[in-house]
Amino acid sequence: MVPVRSSIKTVATVATVVLAAAACGQQSGGGTADGNAKVGVDFPRADSDFWNSYIKYVPQFGKELDVNLMPSTNSQNKVENLVANVQTLQGQGAKAIVMAPQDTGAIATTLQRLEQQKIPVVTVDTRPDSGKVYMVVRADNKAYGEKACKFLGEKLGKKGKVVEFQGALSSVNGRDRSEAFAKCMKDNYPEITVFEEPTDWEGSKAASALQTRLNQHPDIKGIYMQAGGVFLAPTLQVLRSTNHLLPAGDPNHIAIVSNDGIPQEFEAIRKGEIDATVSQPADLYAKWALFYAKAALEGKTFKPGPTDHESTIVDVGNGNLEDQLPAPLVTKDNVDDKALWGNQIGK
Amino acid sequence: MTETLSPDTGASTAPASGRRPPLRFARFRDLALVPAIVILLVVGALLDPTFLTTGNLLGVLQQQSALSLLVLAEAMILITGKFDLSLESTIGFAPVLAIALVVPTSAHGLGTEWAAWLAVPLCLLTGALIGAFNGLLILKFQLSAFIVTLGMLITVRGLHEGVSGGNSLFQIPQSFMFLGFETWLGLPLSVWISLALFVVGMVVLSYFRQGRSLYAVGGNVDAAKAAGIRTNKVIWTVLIIGGVLAALAGMLETGRLGAIGANLGDGMIFDVFAAAVIGGISLNGGKGTLFGALCGVLVLGLILNILRLTAVDGHWFNAIKGVIILLALVLSRLTTGKAQE
Repeated sequence: MVPVRSSIKTVATVATVVLAAAACGQQSGGGTADGNAKVGVDFPRADSDFWNSYIKYVPQFGKELDVNLMPSTNSQNKVENLVANVQTLQGQGAKAIVMAPQDTGAIATTLQRLEQQKIPVVTVDTRPDSGKVYMVVRADNKAYGEKACKFLGEKLGKKGKVVEFQGALSSVNGRDRSEAFAKCMKDNYPEITVFEEPTDWEGSKAASALQTRLNQHPDIKGIYMQAGGVFLAPTLQVLRSTNHLLPAGDPNHIAIVSNDGIPQEFEAIRKGEIDATVSQPADLYAKWALFYAKAALEGKTFKPGPTDHESTIVDVGNGNLEDQLPAPLVTKDNVDDKALWGNQIGK
Repeated sequence: MTETLSPDTGASTAPASGRRPPLRFARFRDLALVPAIVILLVVGALLDPTFLTTGNLLGVLQQQSALSLLVLAEAMILITGKFDLSLESTIGFAPVLAIALVVPTSAHGLGTEWAAWLAVPLCLLTGALIGAFNGLLILKFQLSAFIVTLGMLITVRGLHEGVSGGNSLFQIPQSFMFLGFETWLGLPLSVWISLALFVVGMVVLSYFRQGRSLYAVGGNVDAAKAAGIRTNKVIWTVLIIGGVLAALAGMLETGRLGAIGANLGDGMIFDVFAAAVIGGISLNGGKGTLFGALCGVLVLGLILNILRLTAVDGHWFNAIKGVIILLALVLSRLTTGKAQE
């Protein structure tokens, strides 16, 4: 039951938006089965290497998939900006929205509003806590934490000391990775001591924490960093200045696993400075988000089950579907694989 | 108790010509934080055996060296009775612009590819220009320093993101990282630099006419003017020095981290003000000493180090840090018996 007052308010909002759209002179058809209708994309932030790659891929795949892309907006990592941007995109005539809400709770009312107006939404990277979306496109962040844990656990022979650079604990992806890593370590490798270092995704805090921890425990054998973009250079710099930077294979080498899959991490893997990273598929995020946005406009529907692109669509409750894209673990063995997005950009 | 009255009270205390006060490094008020530091050292030593090792304490100094330069800059600006919030953006933007001008576009450069040795002077120059521009708006356009530098904080942060395209800059010339990475006689160079600059600052602010004029301007601008001090020139100079120090801090941080992240310096101004104010610098201008500010930096550094060594749960980290800062404030208030400003 929706309270009467709020539904009146919603009707009023709908009316305003419709008026706004009409006033701007956009065509205001029902939009059923029009694959060429406009798609609005909001980018979550502009200050991370991973998202910058995503931002570059969107127009590229837009052209490839023949999607009618509007000029994109950027919500600078703030949910209030995202809400305002979505309204702007709607006002400009968007018939489908692709967004990556970093705050998965506060987006609920916006999703509700969009559903009432029959505007399909594809979310990238995060799954909203409530509200209806057409498709969620993400790699499983819990799997990142688990893959990193298993890799380090085996590499260290199930014992030793590990430092973990946590992302911001207020972000869902940081939390997912931290929780999965902690749980996997506890369940499978109880003899490994994990030092969890909160960093708010700041390289400077990670460097200070690592320096302190190495002084305290010179026998640290492993590092898990939740984002290569921010932690890679500071970590290597600290290891270099404390003479801990030894190539893989040296008995005193500190095993390092990262997340992201940017070109600099691949370079470090080739040099033997770090051991592995989980490649978060920036290219696939862009490609499949736009694919589903277009499919929604054409009126297609999807069912849970394996897809034709090595992923699985799962029903995540609420009537929402999630296409869980593969996020491969990259080690020295497959670092030169051309299919990895980190090997395709900047060349 | 003439000591407590002495040089902190602004315009009236500009030293009479010819006779300088005898050399007293730590005045009464400056020592306010020493008990807090001692307590932190004892607590740290009890909690973790690594705490008192030279390696750990040197680590603390190195990690705080960039912050200490920002605090040095902010302390001088506050003593002059002004504000500079934009320092936290300058520390990131100055090195980013300098690096972007010298590296090729493949490393997120601007395409100019100037000679690598230019990076250091360019970085310092950028800092100076930002300080000078702040001065222009504050002094010539008569705008509030708080609002001007708040606007500059946002603008310069935006320029940082714009120039770097939001990417971390990984390809940094060795010459640029030298100061932040190398060590000399067992101490990191960055620690030498910040210690040296603090000593210079303390001497100048205590024993030189130019330095004393900061207190005069901050204590009472009109009186300072009447006394023949060119107040605008003093303020402008201090703002420019502040920008240069922030740029230098950016270089030290770049050397320590090996890359410049798109969020370098973000939120740092809170720590800068926390350190300056627990160090006894008055937000109203004209009061406080650089030695006190340096103590404030050390207190913050020790708190963070102890929290890290004891591996405090990340969810509670900031809450505990905040409470300890408040305790340090209360302790310094109790030990000096003076009202905080």
